[in-house]
Amino acid sequence: MKTNKQNLPDKNGFYGEFGGKFVPETLMYALEQLETTYKKLKDNNEFKEKFYSDLSEFVGRPSPLYFAERLTKHYGTGSIWLKREDLNHTGAHKINNTIGQILLAKYMGKKRIIAETGAGQHGVATAAVAARLGLECHIYMGSEDVERQSLNVYRIKLLGAHVHAVNSGSATLKDALNEALRDWVTNVDDTYYIIGSVTGPHPYPMIVRDFNSVVGEELISQSKKLFNAMPDAIVACVGGGSNAMGAFYPFISMNETRLIGVEAGGEGVETGEHAAPLNDGIPGVLHGALSYLMQDEKGQVKETKSVSAGLDYPGVGPEHSWLKDSGRAEYVAVSDDEALRAFHEVSELEGIIPALETAHAFAYLDILMKEYDSSANIIVNLSGRGDKDINTVAEIDGIKL
Amino acid sequence: MNRLTETLANLKQQNKKALVAYLVAGDPDIQTTVDLMHLFVEAGVDAIEIGVPFTDPIAEGPIIQRAHDRALKNNISLKDIYSMVEIFRNKDSTTPLILMGYLNTFMFHKKIIEENKNSAIDSILVVDIPGELNLNDYGIKSSSINTISLISPTTKQDRIESIAKNSSGFVYYVTLRGVTGASNLDSNEISNNVNEIKKHASVPTLAGFGIKSASDASLLSKHSDGIIIGSSIVQMIEQNSVTKEFDRIRKYITEIKQAIS
Ligand SMILES: Cc1ncc(COP(=O)(O)O)c(C=O)c1O
Repeated sequence: MKTNKQNLPDKNGFYGEFGGKFVPETLMYALEQLETTYKKLKDNNEFKEKFYSDLSEFVGRPSPLYFAERLTKHYGTGSIWLKREDLNHTGAHKINNTIGQILLAKYMGKKRIIAETGAGQHGVATAAVAARLGLECHIYMGSEDVERQSLNVYRIKLLGAHVHAVNSGSATLKDALNEALRDWVTNVDDTYYIIGSVTGPHPYPMIVRDFNSVVGEELISQSKKLFNAMPDAIVACVGGGSNAMGAFYPFISMNETRLIGVEAGGEGVETGEHAAPLNDGIPGVLHGALSYLMQDEKGQVKETKSVSAGLDYPGVGPEHSWLKDSGRAEYVAVSDDEALRAFHEVSELEGIIPALETAHAFAYLDILMKEYDSSANIIVNLSGRGDKDINTVAEIDGIKL
Repeated sequence: MNRLTETLANLKQQNKKALVAYLVAGDPDIQTTVDLMHLFVEAGVDAIEIGVPFTDPIAEGPIIQRAHDRALKNNISLKDIYSMVEIFRNKDSTTPLILMGYLNTFMFHKKIIEENKNSAIDSILVVDIPGELNLNDYGIKSSSINTISLISPTTKQDRIESIAKNSSGFVYYVTLRGVTGASNLDSNEISNNVNEIKKHASVPTLAGFGIKSASDASLLSKHSDGIIIGSSIVQMIEQNSVTKEFDRIRKYITEIKQAIS
C-alpha cells in the first residue's frame, strides 16, 4: 500500500474534477468514519502484516507472472505475460479487496456485511471472508445476473451468505448497487458495505484501489526478475475498474509503461448498445461519484449491454476518468464477439479458461500486438477464471450442457 | 419575493405549521399530476415538492421507486416538468413549488434551471449532494431559486452548523435512518436534533421521511416548523392510478392538516 507521487484523491475525495461523495445525508457520517478508520490503519504495521499474511495464506499470493508462450508465438511480436489473478482463492482479483475491507469492518466492530455483485465474483469473495470471520452477510445481485451467473449464486449460498435478487431497473449490477446503498442507509449503524470496485463515494475508490495495488506492486518486482525491465504495456479489462486500477496504480509515475483499459463494447460502440462509458459517455453522477457515465439525451442513466455480467455497468471508477482526461491511460473497447473469440483462443492456446470479463483484455491484443516488435513485454492482467461463464458461452455456442 | 420564503414567513407569523406534500412528476401521467397538485392545494397543502424522475433514485424506498419507474415509462424529463408547471401556474400563481431530485439530472439540465422560465419554480432539493457544498460549484444556479438541504439523525454537530447556514429555503430534517417510506420514528432524537438545527439556521426547519398517520404528523409538527409527506400519498396515487379517483387523498391531507393545526 505505497502512496504514489500523484497523491490523489485530494482531501475531499476528488481526482481532478472526478470523484467526491454524492450520497444521501444519512451516509455522510458512515463515510467519514470509514475514512478516519482507514487513514489510521493503512500505515499501521500490525494491520499491514495481517493484510499481507491473509493474502499469502488464505488467497495464495503472490500470483505468478506467467509467460504465455503459445499466445506470444500466435502473434509473433512481443512477449506476452499473464498476471495470474485467476489462481487466487475464489478465482479472481476481487478477493484482494475483500480481505482488506473485512479487516476494516472487524476493526470498526460491524456485525453485518453487505455487498453488491455482478458476475458474482465479488459476492463469492465477500461471502468467503465473512464466513471466515463468522459475520452475517447479504449479497445484492440483479435478477438477470442471478440467472446468467447461477454457479456463483450457489457458491455464495454455500458460503453461508444470503442472496437478494434485485428486480428494479435493468436488474443488473447498477441496480444491485442501488439496493445495497438503500440497505446501508437503513442499517448504517451496524452494517459495513464492502463495495466491489473502485466506484462509489469517497473513500471507496481509494480503498479498493489501494488493496488491489498489491497486483501492481508484485508486477514491478516480477518484471524486474523475469525480463529485467518495466513492461511496455499493461492491458486490463475495465468494468468498475478495480483490477485495472490495482495493476495500473503503482505504474502511474512510470511513463515508459503504457496503461490500457479495455471496456465492454457489447454490440459495438457505434451501435450505442454497450457498456463503455469512457469511450462513449459524458461526465455525470451515479452511486456517489462524478465520473464518465452512459446517459441518454434526457440525462437518465442508460441501460447497458455486454455478454459479461462483471462489465455490464454504465459508470466507471472516477480515477479512470481522471487517467483518461489526463492522457496517462488509454481506454478502448472490444465487442462481445471479439471477447468470445478471445475466450476460446486463450483456452485452446494456453490451457487457461479466462473469465468473459478478462477475455475483453485478451481480445485487444489483436490490435495492440501489431504495434510492437519482439523486444516488447506486454502484460495482460488475467483478472479471473472462466468457470462461472461456461453456461453462458455454451448457450451462445448452441451447446446444451 | 420567493413564494416559498414568503409562505413560510406568513405561516410563522400566524403561528402555524407548514404542510408540504410530495408527488412524482408524470406519475401516472402529466395531466393527472397537474390535477393532483391543484387538489393538494385545495385540501390545505402549503407547498408542493415535485419529484424529478431518475433511473437510480438511491434514497427512495419501494413505493417512490415505483412512482419514478411509472413516470420514466412516460419519458418525463426536466423540460417536460417545466411545461407541466406552466400549465399548473395558469391557475395557481402563488403556491410554492420545490423540485426534488438527483444531482445528475440537475447537472445535465443546468441551462433549464438557470433560466427558470417565468420564475415558475421556487426551490431545489438535491438529495445526493452534501449539504455544505454549494450547488453553484456544479453549475446549478438561478437567481429566483433557493435551496433546501437535508440533515439526518447521523449528521454530526459541526456539519449541522454548516449545512443549516447553507440552506436558503428551509432545512429538511430527515426523521429516520432509512429510505423514504420506512417507519421507525424516534421522538426524542427528533426533538433534540431539530433544536440543534434551529440554533444555526436562519430559515425554518421542516421534518419528513416516515410520516404516515395523523398522530405522526401531530408529533413531528410539535418539534418543527412543518412537515413533509411523501410515500403515503404516492401510495394512494399508485392504488388509484387507473380510476383516478383521488378523494382519499383529499381526505387524508385534510386529516393531516387538522392534526398539525
Ligand atoms: C474476473 C473479473 N474481471 C473483471 C471484473 C470487472 O470488475 P473491475 O473492473 O472492477 O475489475 C469482474 C467483475 O465482476 C470479474 O469478475
